[in-house]
Amino acid sequence: MIFIRLWNYFVGYLVIRVKGLSLEKFINLTVSKGIYLWGMDRESYTSLKACISIKGFKKLRKIVRKLHCQIKIVEKRGLPFKTYKYKHRKMLIAGMLVFLVIIYGLSAFIWTVDLEGTEDVKPDLILSKLYESGVKPGAFKGKINTEQIENQLLITTPELSWASLEIRGSRAILRVKEAVEAPDFVKREGPANILAKKDGIIDSMIVLEGEAVVEIGQTVRKGQLLVSGIIEHPDTIGIRYVRAMGRVMARTWYEAQETARLDEVYRVRTGRTIEQKYFGLGKASLPYKKEEMTFKEYDLVSKKEGLVRIDTYYEVELKAWPDNLEEAKKYIEKSTEERLMQEIAKGTKVVDKKLKYDIIEGEQITGVLYLELIEDIGIQEDLTIQ
Amino acid sequence: MQRKRVNDIKATISEMFDLPKDIVLDLPKIIMVGGNQILVENHKGIIEYTPDRIRINSSIGVIRVLGANMMLKNIGQDDIMVTGTIKAIELLS
Repeated sequence: MIFIRLWNYFVGYLVIRVKGLSLEKFINLTVSKGIYLWGMDRESYTSLKACISIKGFKKLRKIVRKLHCQIKIVEKRGLPFKTYKYKHRKMLIAGMLVFLVIIYGLSAFIWTVDLEGTEDVKPDLILSKLYESGVKPGAFKGKINTEQIENQLLITTPELSWASLEIRGSRAILRVKEAVEAPDFVKREGPANILAKKDGIIDSMIVLEGEAVVEIGQTVRKGQLLVSGIIEHPDTIGIRYVRAMGRVMARTWYEAQETARLDEVYRVRTGRTIEQKYFGLGKASLPYKKEEMTFKEYDLVSKKEGLVRIDTYYEVELKAWPDNLEEAKKYIEKSTEERLMQEIAKGTKVVDKKLKYDIIEGEQITGVLYLELIEDIGIQEDLTIQ
Repeated sequence: MQRKRVNDIKATISEMFDLPKDIVLDLPKIIMVGGNQILVENHKGIIEYTPDRIRINSSIGVIRVLGANMMLKNIGQDDIMVTGTIKAIELLS
């Protein structure tokens, strides 16, 4: 039934008032002709209100003549009558068309470029290359040959092993997989020793070739011989020269120092922010969300997403270190750790972490961070045999 | 007489095969929902319609519906839906 109702709404229907004496006859006759009536209400003995489709209304003429009753249209309902109102408002229809054309036209361009899958390679590097090849916000979609761009990108960027460019709607998505750097060839010719490249205490050793000179638990200095490539054993005849190979894991220590002046001020974000949003490019951008600036000191972070620019203002408070010694310590810990982590090879195990502070009251605080690691300290050095 | 026999056979057959009688025997099917909606299928026209009395013709006689503020929600060739406060349904054969 609801489909009939919906259909009637789209096609349009009429509310009519029938006046006459034999209204039951009118109902029976219309129904028997296959004209559908609904929402019927008997207003009085001689009048009746009902809904009827436009097609049915046209067929009513014969019945009316036969029964001598009067029919008046009370109301016209449905979509066609509603749209009829707008028939003379040509600019409105023109505006709708222009809107559709603009939407369709704008969907033929790329608005955002997304990059997925980068880990070590800087996204900017790949994106700039992608922009050069023509995939950038504002580019025409029809001109983009994804396969060719993928190939070109892979050729020009050796850091990548796989790339896939997909254009979904107005979004270009580049998915990449970074290449694993090929390991250096291990030099296998000529005898060699393994020396220590750092001070440390030997933790474990795996000697594949050569003769271990040091023992587990022994303290070694930088440059000390760890595994010898010269084997002199009473059981063998003469001296054998081999290329010493193996892993010598040792406990090593790193330290970094940082000083914070306690009489200086530093900036702390209070957590309150103000956001301002702009729509448009460059100078022709319009703010669409603006809050009043009430902060005296602030950090400004500007982010761009397609045509939308979001400026976030972080309120900042100026604080002196003595106000918060814990903050100062935290700052020192963070900055020293960051510095050390750059020195340490990736994947090295940190065994222990110690921080020592030295405070000169009211003037400065000096912190030293000690990191204890277990790492491979062996390095091969070729032997020259006289 | 002939007609009655045909109807009897039809009734037995519809009973045997569990066929809906309203279709086989052309009987009216009256569905009432609560106290405010009645659907009559297989009707034979309206005899009288006022807000408090509706009489509908059918193959087994006149169906009289008494109530108040009754409206005919739909009228099709086969079905009539009455809404409003319904007080009584009578079969006058």
